[in-house]
Amino acid sequence: MTEETGSPRKFIVPIGPQHPALKEPGHFEFTVDGEIVTGASVRLGYVHRGIEKGCEQRSWVQDIYLLERICGICSHSHATAFVLGVEKLAKVTVPPRAQAMRTLFLELERVHSHLLWLGVAAHEGGFDTLFMYSWRDRETVMDILENLSGNRVNYSANILGGVKYDLDQKQADEIRKGIDYLEERTKYYLNVVTTDETFLGRTRNIGTMSYDQAVALDAIGPTARASGLARDVRVDSPYAAYADFPVNLVTETQCDLVGRFVVRIRELFESYRLIREIIEHMPGGELTTRVPRRIPEGEAISRVEAPRGELFYFLKSNGSDKPERVKVRTPSLCNWASVTHLAIGHNLADMPMMLAGIDPCFSCNDRSVTVRKGGESQVWSWEELRRYGIEYYK
Amino acid sequence: MELLEAFNQAEQILSPWSGVVTHPSTDRMDVTIPDKWLKAAVNALREAHWGYLSAITGLDHPGSTGPISEEQRWQRLAADGETSTEDVTKEGTLEVLYHFCSGAGVLTLRVSVRYSFPVLPSICNLLPAATLYERELIEMFGIKLVGTPNIDKLLLPDDWPDGVFPLRKSFHGLKEEALKGQEVKK
Repeated sequence: MTEETGSPRKFIVPIGPQHPALKEPGHFEFTVDGEIVTGASVRLGYVHRGIEKGCEQRSWVQDIYLLERICGICSHSHATAFVLGVEKLAKVTVPPRAQAMRTLFLELERVHSHLLWLGVAAHEGGFDTLFMYSWRDRETVMDILENLSGNRVNYSANILGGVKYDLDQKQADEIRKGIDYLEERTKYYLNVVTTDETFLGRTRNIGTMSYDQAVALDAIGPTARASGLARDVRVDSPYAAYADFPVNLVTETQCDLVGRFVVRIRELFESYRLIREIIEHMPGGELTTRVPRRIPEGEAISRVEAPRGELFYFLKSNGSDKPERVKVRTPSLCNWASVTHLAIGHNLADMPMMLAGIDPCFSCNDRSVTVRKGGESQVWSWEELRRYGIEYYK
Repeated sequence: MELLEAFNQAEQILSPWSGVVTHPSTDRMDVTIPDKWLKAAVNALREAHWGYLSAITGLDHPGSTGPISEEQRWQRLAADGETSTEDVTKEGTLEVLYHFCSGAGVLTLRVSVRYSFPVLPSICNLLPAATLYERELIEMFGIKLVGTPNIDKLLLPDDWPDGVFPLRKSFHGLKEEALKGQEVKK
């Protein structure tokens, strides 16, 4: 694809929406000079479903289920951020056992998400054995989640004012067993990503984001923590049961992709510790408290540390049984800015790894096809493509 | 205590520009800022390293009348003196909330613009990460952001009709013909 804007000629490499690296749709345009990227832009929205608007037309209770489906990976984080916000508006105090159960789900979700990411990122680096290993081991935590809630993905654990699922002794023992196994495996992974020379060739000094850059680009989550930026909502503003089960913040100072691998793997160890502690010291008592159907007028902000970083919810109620406004700012949206800025100066071949490095989630965020015709690029709209298809197959 | 200190500091930083300061809850501080001072206020926060921009929320407050042109406004002002200010408030407004987080605290800068003149300065040259939030605000609420580096569609389809802003309260879905793509002209 070429674009003539005087001299010298710019080459634009479009990547996506059917992405060679990520199994989710996103469109990137990298401007290159030879092999070196000189500019990058992003276009999202291929899976935009209008959920914020949809929330305004549904009741507070229905919205939990809708919002949980924003993302299939961090579904529980979304539902938790929402219910915590609604409970703030309704001024209800949720029983400690329910908060501990929420936290247990949040940490199990982090384990499954980080293992999923490890696999995807290893695959992008051409290390498919690691990908298969980590996804095989991820099944352990998926089984735990299924055992607890009956679901592998959308656990549907939250309700307004509490949780649906309880934990019994048998389940607790199974979780302990699973976590013991995963801890051993995670030690192995940490060893692999820090010592395997071939793999380090794809990660060392790639996508380096200094501490100052991380601050300037408002980076969050593991992406920020890999640059030494101590930012974690679980620590800064403890929600659910994190005040009772404090988190040890994990940061690294490598600032490159190695750092992002190491931060996430070390966070896994921290999650295992937390899960064990929660099971050990699970508070007794009720699982739910009553929340009125109509939520009092007001605004609430709710923040949750999702596996990818800070998840931000802004809720506004007009006193009815439906929200006036639900604003969701997902962590991936924050971290895109870091990729489009850091890409400059890197090899085009490093782009898949860099994109995977922030653990992007497209459903979190959200048509066009560029076709080359006689040397000039043209963007086709969906309608034109449809007509072209109909004509072609007539 | 840390929280209180952070908020006191923010209040001091913003004092030249801020209007009403409220604390909706212990971990929140809301500050209304006139639109012309938005950039100055954001810049002051940035220079003082107060927190980071976490999100930009748009809110639609539909009034009882549609957009009122500047001319109509003056006519009404001339016609009935004081009552006209009430008239102006009946016009819908769009409110933009800039959320800054620092530790446990969330500072929100609240800026309002009228339907008839939905224009705000972009803050991208101060905080480059704001570009995606601003693109979202442009297409979802129809706010013009002067100086924003990229106004390409971010989330909506390329053939989305102009002037239709889905997160405004007046939006209730596209009409049949738009869905069938008959409005699309290239």
